[in-house]
Amino acid sequence: MLTRFISDQNLPDFMQKLRKFGGIEGPLRGEDGGVRFGNLSDGTTPDIHAIRTLLPAKKYLFAPEERLFNYTLQEGYKILLEDISPVTLFALHPCELAGINYLDRLLGGDAPDPHYAARRSQITLIGISCLPDEFCSCHISPSPLQALSDIFMNIVEGGFVVTVYSSRGKEIMEDMKDLAEERELPVPQDARRFFGVSLPLNVMSEIDTGLPEWQKLADRCLGCGACSLCCPTCACFNILEFAGLDGVSSERIRYWDNCLFKSHSMVAGGAVFNKGRAERFIYRYRHKQRGFGPLRGVPSCVGCGRCRAFCPIGLDLRVLTELLERSAV
Amino acid sequence: MNNIQPLRGEISIITRMTADTTLFTLSTKPEYEVASSFLPGQFLELSLPGVGEIPVSYCGFPSNNGTIELCIRHIGHVTNAIKSSAKGDYVGLRGPFGRGFPIDTYGGMDMLLVAGGLGIAPIRSLLLNLLFVRKRYGRIRVVYAARASRLLLFLDELLDFKKNGIIELLLAVDSLAVGEKKNPDCRIALLPALFEEMKIEPEKTFTAVCGPSVVYPRIITSLQNLGVSDDRIHISLERRMKCGIGRCGHCAIGEYLCCLDGPVFSVAELSGVEGGIA
Repeated sequence: MLTRFISDQNLPDFMQKLRKFGGIEGPLRGEDGGVRFGNLSDGTTPDIHAIRTLLPAKKYLFAPEERLFNYTLQEGYKILLEDISPVTLFALHPCELAGINYLDRLLGGDAPDPHYAARRSQITLIGISCLPDEFCSCHISPSPLQALSDIFMNIVEGGFVVTVYSSRGKEIMEDMKDLAEERELPVPQDARRFFGVSLPLNVMSEIDTGLPEWQKLADRCLGCGACSLCCPTCACFNILEFAGLDGVSSERIRYWDNCLFKSHSMVAGGAVFNKGRAERFIYRYRHKQRGFGPLRGVPSCVGCGRCRAFCPIGLDLRVLTELLERSAV
Repeated sequence: MNNIQPLRGEISIITRMTADTTLFTLSTKPEYEVASSFLPGQFLELSLPGVGEIPVSYCGFPSNNGTIELCIRHIGHVTNAIKSSAKGDYVGLRGPFGRGFPIDTYGGMDMLLVAGGLGIAPIRSLLLNLLFVRKRYGRIRVVYAARASRLLLFLDELLDFKKNGIIELLLAVDSLAVGEKKNPDCRIALLPALFEEMKIEPEKTFTAVCGPSVVYPRIITSLQNLGVSDDRIHISLERRMKCGIGRCGHCAIGEYLCCLDGPVFSVAELSGVEGGIA
């Protein structure tokens, strides 16, 4: 495969030139020490060695809050598609890219969600290699998901080995000829995880919900929903409608929802189908490990480690995974 | 089919059924006639501008004049608001969604339809479909229970069908109101009591059930005791089907999504599925 080499010294220039393809968003370390995806368009240097951002890049494709429709007496419900300008997401880890691949499967496809499709079509993905830390489980979470990007940058001594995966990526790299010399370079093996190397798809066998550990974990869980909020593949949404003050118009807004909340399964009249915290815990775990409906059999945990790293009481579901695997044998 | 965009429907007839239940007849013409072509057991997403959107089972017969019937109990955010809607009011429609009753497999069979309370809505839709080509089916029995006599919906219609000899009807209510006379056609009992002494030919019978999920275990046991196999017991489940198209993540039952794989399931499909049958 044809690769290019960008030296560390050339990275600022590379970023500078990237700006003409639209806005750039990437990992930034804040004053509080937390890492978040933020705007790099003004020349801010991203923290390319940061392990994980608080929120995944899903916020760019699937907005936390989005106006879907407005209603007027004359026109009924009319879809609202705001003009979305092109944006490059820079320095995405393979798990992040795999998460986007999952969102593509859920909200894209033959009849895509129009709001998702509008954002997605304006997004260029530039991946970057990383070294897993103690929270990561990408190396032990076999997944059919692929880390698809337009450009991928492997961090090597003195710079980056750059591989191009799409015509959009090619177009960008054509423009970088003076900064990125063509070189035959081996693509480091470690970063090939999620990259077309088909890992054995090991869908967890039916989840043993009878284990007492569910209740033990649920008893400690605060039900805050942080694990779902920060998950690159959690995409449950609720839709609410708000009447306008004129009394005749209204707006329909989509929000991120959270299966750790009791309201998630509540229907008219107040009946709740996942009453207990343990049931909601199982609901989420089953969704992550085995999938629902058309995505049944597609485990969606990409091993990013956010749910463990950001859980306020440090719940570690790996304990459960090990237990379940043992009980399934 | 229209998945995303609510299209125009109009309330054409409002029939108050009980204090808290209303039958709405909607006209889908001219914008969205597709909504009136559905299988019994399917649902649509009904929007009330300024209030919200909810899944509702079809209650009537797929008409060729573009009207649909929805039987709505006013107990939620949207259903309470629609109570004060008037004839001619706009509603938004998406659908039909989901898997309905497998009516093609019912040909030549005896049918046992079981409804509890508001569960009569999709069961009525199925019944009207069966009666449309009555001779295609064997015996049709409707087993229907509600809390009180005044809450038995579509009672006159069902009694008419019974009088014409095209269905057999077994009714029950939990209790009589003060001073209410006992109707000889209606037992004072809980729904499962209606299966006592019932004789069916299990190998040529299909059953369709809709009611509050709390009564499902007992109904299913009763049907199994009559000899009906699990793949011939079709039940309709309720979940929070927010989007109707398998994306919002609210309606999973085990690994099924109620909005795509259901809402009608056979008991065989739900065997071993935790939380499927309460």
